[in-house]
Formats: sequence, structure tokens, C-alpha cells
Amino acid sequence: RNRSQPSSFTSSSATDLFRSASSKGSSSSKGMDRIDHLFNHYANRSSSQIIDPEGIEELCSNLEVPHTDVRILMLAWKMKAEKQGYFTLEEWRRALKAMRADTISKLKKALPELEKEVRRPSNFADFYVYAFRYCLTEEKQKSIDIETICQLLDIVLGSTFRAQVDYFVDYLKIQNDYKVINMDQWLGFYRFCNEISFPDMSNYNPELAWPLILDNFFEWMREKQA
Amino acid sequence: MSNQKKRNFQIEAFKHRVVVDPKYADKTWQILERAIHQIYNQDASGLSFEELYRNAYNMVLHKFGEKLYTGFIVTMTAHLKEKSKLIEAAQGGSFLEELNKKWNEHNKALEMIRDILMYMDRTYIESTKKTHVHPMGFSLWRDNVVHFTKIHTRLLNTLLDLVQKERTGEVIDRGLMRSVIKMFMDLGESVYQEDFEKPFLDASSEFYKVESQEFIESCDCGDYLKKAEKRLTEEIDRVAHYLDPKSEEKITSVVEKEMIANHMQRLVHMENSGLVYMLLHDKYEDLGRMYNLFRRVTNGLLTVRDVMTSHLREMGKQLVTDPEKSKDPVEFVQRLLDERDKYDKVISTAFGNDKTFQNALNSSFEHFINLNARSPEFISLFVDDKLRKGLKGFVDVDVEVILDKVMMLFRYLQEKDVFEKYYKQHLAKRLLSGKTVSDDAERSLIVKLKTECGYQFTSKLEGMFTDMKTSEDTMRGFYGSHPELSEGPTLIVQVLTTGSWPTQPAVPCNLPAEVSVLCEKFRSYYLGTHTGRRLTWQTNMGTADIKALFGKGQKHELNVSTFQMCVLMLFNNADRLSYKEIEQATEIPASDLKRCLQSLACVKGKNVIKKEPMSKDIGEEDSFYVNEKFTSKFYKVKIGTVVAQKETEPEKQETRQRVEEDRKPQIEAAIVRIMKSRKILDHNNIIAEVTKQLQPRFLANPTEIKKRIESLIERDFLERDSTDRKLYRYLA
Repeated sequence: RNRSQPSSFTSSSATDLFRSASSKGSSSSKGMDRIDHLFNHYANRSSSQIIDPEGIEELCSNLEVPHTDVRILMLAWKMKAEKQGYFTLEEWRRALKAMRADTISKLKKALPELEKEVRRPSNFADFYVYAFRYCLTEEKQKSIDIETICQLLDIVLGSTFRAQVDYFVDYLKIQNDYKVINMDQWLGFYRFCNEISFPDMSNYNPELAWPLILDNFFEWMREKQA
Repeated sequence: MSNQKKRNFQIEAFKHRVVVDPKYADKTWQILERAIHQIYNQDASGLSFEELYRNAYNMVLHKFGEKLYTGFIVTMTAHLKEKSKLIEAAQGGSFLEELNKKWNEHNKALEMIRDILMYMDRTYIESTKKTHVHPMGFSLWRDNVVHFTKIHTRLLNTLLDLVQKERTGEVIDRGLMRSVIKMFMDLGESVYQEDFEKPFLDASSEFYKVESQEFIESCDCGDYLKKAEKRLTEEIDRVAHYLDPKSEEKITSVVEKEMIANHMQRLVHMENSGLVYMLLHDKYEDLGRMYNLFRRVTNGLLTVRDVMTSHLREMGKQLVTDPEKSKDPVEFVQRLLDERDKYDKVISTAFGNDKTFQNALNSSFEHFINLNARSPEFISLFVDDKLRKGLKGFVDVDVEVILDKVMMLFRYLQEKDVFEKYYKQHLAKRLLSGKTVSDDAERSLIVKLKTECGYQFTSKLEGMFTDMKTSEDTMRGFYGSHPELSEGPTLIVQVLTTGSWPTQPAVPCNLPAEVSVLCEKFRSYYLGTHTGRRLTWQTNMGTADIKALFGKGQKHELNVSTFQMCVLMLFNNADRLSYKEIEQATEIPASDLKRCLQSLACVKGKNVIKKEPMSKDIGEEDSFYVNEKFTSKFYKVKIGTVVAQKETEPEKQETRQRVEEDRKPQIEAAIVRIMKSRKILDHNNIIAEVTKQLQPRFLANPTEIKKRIESLIERDFLERDSTDRKLYRYLA
């Protein structure tokens, strides 16, 4: 359906409302169409209007990006996706419109730009917090298990803080004090990477307000270095 | 000129100058000059004071004051120069005497001359601001005699020589010394200081430097201090006898510096005679002397205190970490008390109850008592021993004394909550076994603990006493309403409120029929009057008195534990029982059962049961039978003991763990309390405040506090500030 002006609507479907309310011109409504069309392609497996994990996997393979790649997480961030493994139409539209992509190839081309945007310091902290929240799958869940955290650290910080991530992941795997990591500890590690010189850690002081797990990590590192 | 010319009655103002014959002044001066000579030559008796005075007066009046003044100075100077030659000529000992004599003469002469020249003193000298006669007389003496090169040094050396002689024990003429030195003082403070005092102090310094070195090489500490004290006393005496009182402080400073301050460290640390030796051997007199001498010098007492402190800490550390000494807890604590008494006595007898020393003593004890993690337990065991039997026969006053001493040790403990835990356990055992010597003593100690730690510390303990009392009343009520039970076994029940008593897991066991019937009757009676409560029998804590009749007719009353009773009663219905049978019948858990059988069968003098085989340990294949040949010279035989023992390793770990668990909520409560009132606080301050709040109970570990903070963050009680991550914020 090609509409150039808002129409008087008789149907009450939400998508119609959305489309008619947001159309700004023929090209954009066309674009909106294509975006929706793209959405439907990936969402057609599930009964409800939503892209599920299988759909995301297909999306990834079409984008030629491994689905454990950080760029998918960045895409989710751009979408402000709420549920891990699922994209709603609203979320899909949000990201693709902002990225000006209505085809797979355009989307693929827009990924490097997205990455640059996320890595901007003003955005990265937000993305970092988002990444943690995204993994809280159960209601009232506040912590993430060690194994997932290790993967998440690798994905999110691996390219910028390779050494810190590797050593910390090693430590997480062998320690017994904590079986899960909470947001406070997650954030603490980011601060650690940004503020503490590595691997000497000469400016780290365990008597300050660092989370205890980092104090323990620090001790462990010191013992190794001795 | 005694005749006065007659004058008219009209008196006119004296306007015209009186023409005086200049020769008149010379003549008058000559009279005076001659008089001065005579005075100096001790030949003044023939002079008329009035005449001389008038002559002087007239000279001044007729404006010849200057001539008079100058003449006086010249004449006196000439005399003094002569005198100094005479003095200088004196040999040996008479030098000083001669000087003194001449000084006295000069003084006398000066006074006379001053009197004669008084008018000049008051008028001419006043208006011209020249030096008055008397001071001038002194200055002239000073310049012409004392500072006469041939006298000056010799005088000083003579004086110093005499002092030296006196210091080496010779007797000198103190009167002469006083006189001469007073001369210096009279000549002016600066003269005294420059010409005598300063060189005197320097010489003394040298003298004491040498002497102290000699002494320190040859004497032990006690003797040295005696000598130093003696010298100090001597110098004070010397000042009193012939020096200016202002010199006392200066000369004592010299002695203190040379004899004490310079050798402080060496004295205090002297082997086999220094401070430590004195402390160990209760040398009160020597210690008192050391205290009095050392307090005179900077850091003197600090040095003594520091050495005492490190000695105490070392001694204390050895005491508490010596495994031999920790074998008997009561001995251990008694030793601590004895040491404290000893040093308390030292401080009160020899150190004048000096508060800083008291504090050093307390801080040392606090330091080393906490080096042994079992101190809280041991102190509780000590108290337990005293309250069981140790206080028997003690008068009330003495009991208080011992309890106060125990409180003193208690105050040193950092982990007061550990003490509380043990104290509770031990108290429970005492109360339940009825083994406390004095109810008053128990309560007295609780009151002391309450005063020290607040009512929360003792409210549970008091609850235990209440339970005991209430139980007595309950028993009376029980038997009152069941008169038919007065025949048959007597049951005594203590109903314990769960929160107040140390938690024990209830251990099941099958009671003998006659007992379980009684117990059930009690249970229904109790629950009848206390609905909504639940009773659980603590069979592992009870005791029983059983009458036993043995093979040869021996009758005994056996005091045993509940478990032991269950086992023994089985033998009323069987001659011989195997371990397994006993286990099955009583359902007592294996470890308790083994201990129980061991105490019944394997202890000499208490083996009412015999075991086959006769090995030391209880094996699961063993069998048991009554020891018909059992004998004891006592009718009442005690077998079960519920005495508080030093904990075994696993028990200790468990207690420690429970203490640690208990601390967590206390730390959290402190954190929440503090954050609630402060709203925002930074990390270091939280740690400090929490530690301070918990200090009366235990020493909080900063790592543990951090853990609790993180837990509270996770549970949304607190959050980190978004901009400054050192800060925490309270979330209402």
C-alpha cells in the first residue's frame, strides 16, 4: 500500500496507527515499509510479531557476523532491546531508522559506524551497563553467573582491555568466593580498567572503596608477580 | 664655724652668690681625703662624723660636687689598687682569706664613706645621673680587685679547686666560700654569672662527665643510681650552703645531664642489673630511685616506660604463646593475674602510681592477651573454676576482689563476644549441674559485666537465672498437683527458654519406662498451663541419681548422666548386653554412646560395668555386664561429669564459626545505623565508625566490613554515589 498522506483509518491495527502517525513523506513511508518487511522476514517463524533467537541467528548469518559478536550486542543496544534473544518491531524500527538501513546490505554497511558510535566514551559507559542488564533474563535477577560474565567481558571489553580481561577471567575461573557477579562488581571492573595501570597496578589501593572481588584479584595478581 | 654672725630680722632672699675662696674647696677636700685614708686604715675612731658630713655638704653646696665626686673615686681607686697588690701577694690558702678580709674592710669603709657623702649622693649625683656612691664602691672593687688580671683567674681557680676538693670528700671552709661568693653576688648578677657561675658550671660538667664514665664502667645500675642520687643531693646541699639559690636549678641540670641523660640507655638496658632485672626481682627501692632520677630529664620516664612496655609485651607474648602454659586454662589465667598484680605493685610502690605507666601496663596486657585466640575461652574457664569450687570458703570481700581482677582481664579482650559465648556455655553447665558455689558471686559477676558492656550483653544470661528460678516453682506446682507421685522416682525438670541458653541440638534417646512415664506426666502438666509452647527433652544435658545394689550386697548411690542412666537401667532386665543391643534399646547416637560406655566401664574406681574384651576402647562387637565386685569407699559415687572442659579442636572451630556468623548481622546493623544518620559517607569513614561502634564487642575486620557493605548494596540498602565512587549513600 502506497500512501502519501495520512489517511482516515478504519482499521484499528496498531501497525497501521504507527505507520500512519509517523509517515513523513513517501520515501520514508516506503522506507518504513521496507524496514517492516525486513522485520517480518525474520519474525515469521514465531506466532507473535517478534524476532526470536532463531531469527536472530539467521539475521547474523545474513549480516555475516558471528552471533557472539559484540556488534549484535551493539545493535541490541541501539534498539534498546529489553529481552535477550528477542527483538520487537518497535525496537527493530528504532535502530534501523536511526541507522538509515532498510535492507540487509545497508544494515551491514552501517555496522562499522554503529561500532564507532558505541565506542565513543560518552556512549560506552551506557553500553557497558546495558550489556550487563541485557543478560539478566529472569525477573528479579540481579547477578550473572561467572561463566556468562567471562564471555560477556570478552565480548564487551576484550578489544580495548585485552590483558585485564584475560587475567581477570583467569582469576574468576579459579576463585571460590563468588559464584555470581552483580552490577556493582561489573561496574567496578570497568573503573579498574580505566583507572588502574596494568599489570603493575601501582595506583591500586585495596583499602579504598573498590569491590572486594577486585581486592582479591589484586592480591592474587601480586602473589603471581612475586 | 660655730659662731654665727648676727643678722637683721629681715631676711632677704639669698640672691647673690657667695664668693668662696677656691682654695676653700681644696682645703675641704683635703680634709675629706685624709678622712678616707684613715677610714681605710682602720683608723677612723678619731673622726667626727658630723664635721666630715658638713664638709662634704658644703662642697656640694658651693658647687664643688664634681671635685668631691672625682676625688672620691680617685682616692678609693688608689686604695683598692694597693689592696689588690696585698691580696695578690698572699700565698696559698691565705689568698682567699686575704681577699675576703679586704672585701669586708672595703664594705665597712664604703658604708662610712657613703654616709659621709650622703648629701652629694642625693643631690649632685641625682641631678647629674652619675653612679651613686655605694654602687660605685662596688664597681671600683670589681674593676680594681676582682678583675685585676693577677687576681681574676687565680680567684676563680682557687674557688673551683675548693669545690673539687669538697667533691672528692675533703672538708673545706664553707663559711669562707659563702663569703667570697656572696661578694660576687653583691657585685651584681652578671658578675656572679660571668666570673663565677658559668665557669663553675663548666667545670662541674667536666667533673661529672668523667665521674659518670668511671661509674658506668664499674658499677651496676642500682649502685650507679645510688651514686647519682648522692651527687645530686650534695650539689643541692652545696647551693644551700654557699651559692646563689638561683644556681640550684642550673647545677642540678648539669648533674642530671652528665650522670643520667647521657647514660640513660646504657643504664636502663644494663644486663643483669638494669630496668628489666629490677622489674623481675621486685627491686622497689632501686626502681623508685630510677623513677625519681629519670623524671628529671627529658624523655627519662619515656625511656623507662618504653623499656618496661617492650619487656611486658615480650614476657606476655611468651606466656600466652607457650603451649606448655596453655595446657591448664586456670593456671594460665592465674599466671596472668599474678603478673598483673606484680606490675601493679611496682607502679604503685616505686612509680608513684604514675598514670602513664598504668596506661602502658594496660596497653601491654591488652596487646599480648589478644595474641592467644583462646584467651576469652580460658578466662571463662577460670571464672567457671572459681564459681564451682575455687571460691569456697572465701569471704564476700575477697570474692569481689577476685571478680574485679577477672573483669580487669576481661576489659583487655578484643573479642568480648567470644568470651560471651563461652561464658554462656559454662554458665549453663554450672546452673544445670547445680555446681555453683555461690549464687551471690554469680550474680555479682553478671552485674559487673552489665556495667561494663551494657544490658544487652547480660540480658540472656539473666534469662538463664530466671529460668532456673521459674523451674523450681514449676516443680513445686507439679508435685503439688500430683501428690500420688511422691512415691517412686523424683523428677526435677529445668525448663530452658531457647533463646537464652546456648543452643544444643536435642539428642534423642529412649528413657527407661518409669522415667518416661514421669516425663510425659510433666509435659502434659506444663503444656496445660503454658499453651502454645513446645518442649523438647535435652537428654544430653541431664543427670540422674540411681541406687544400686551389687553382688556382695554393696549399696551405692550413683550420680550419672541421663545417657548413663538409660544404659544402666537396661541391666535390670538383662545380665549381659552387647553393644548393638544397648545401642538399639537406647537409641543414643554412636559417639555419645561410646563415650558413655567408656566412662562406665573403663575408668578405674568407677567401673560399675565390665566389658569384654577388656580393651581401652569401645568396639562395636563388645559386650557388657554388671561388675558385681564393684567397690568404692564412698557411698555416693559420681560417674557422669558435666564439667566444662577446654574445647577440642573441632568444637573450637565450630564455636569460632558461630561467633563469626553472629558478627555479620552486628556489622550490618552498625553500617545501617551509621548510614541512616549520616546519609552520605565515604569509605574510610564508614570503616572507622563501624570499627569504633563494635569495639566494645570485638575488633571488626575491614575486609569483613567491606563484604557487608557490598551485601547491603546488593540488597538496595545502600548505593554508591554516581559521581564519586568513594561515597556511599543511604537508600531510605
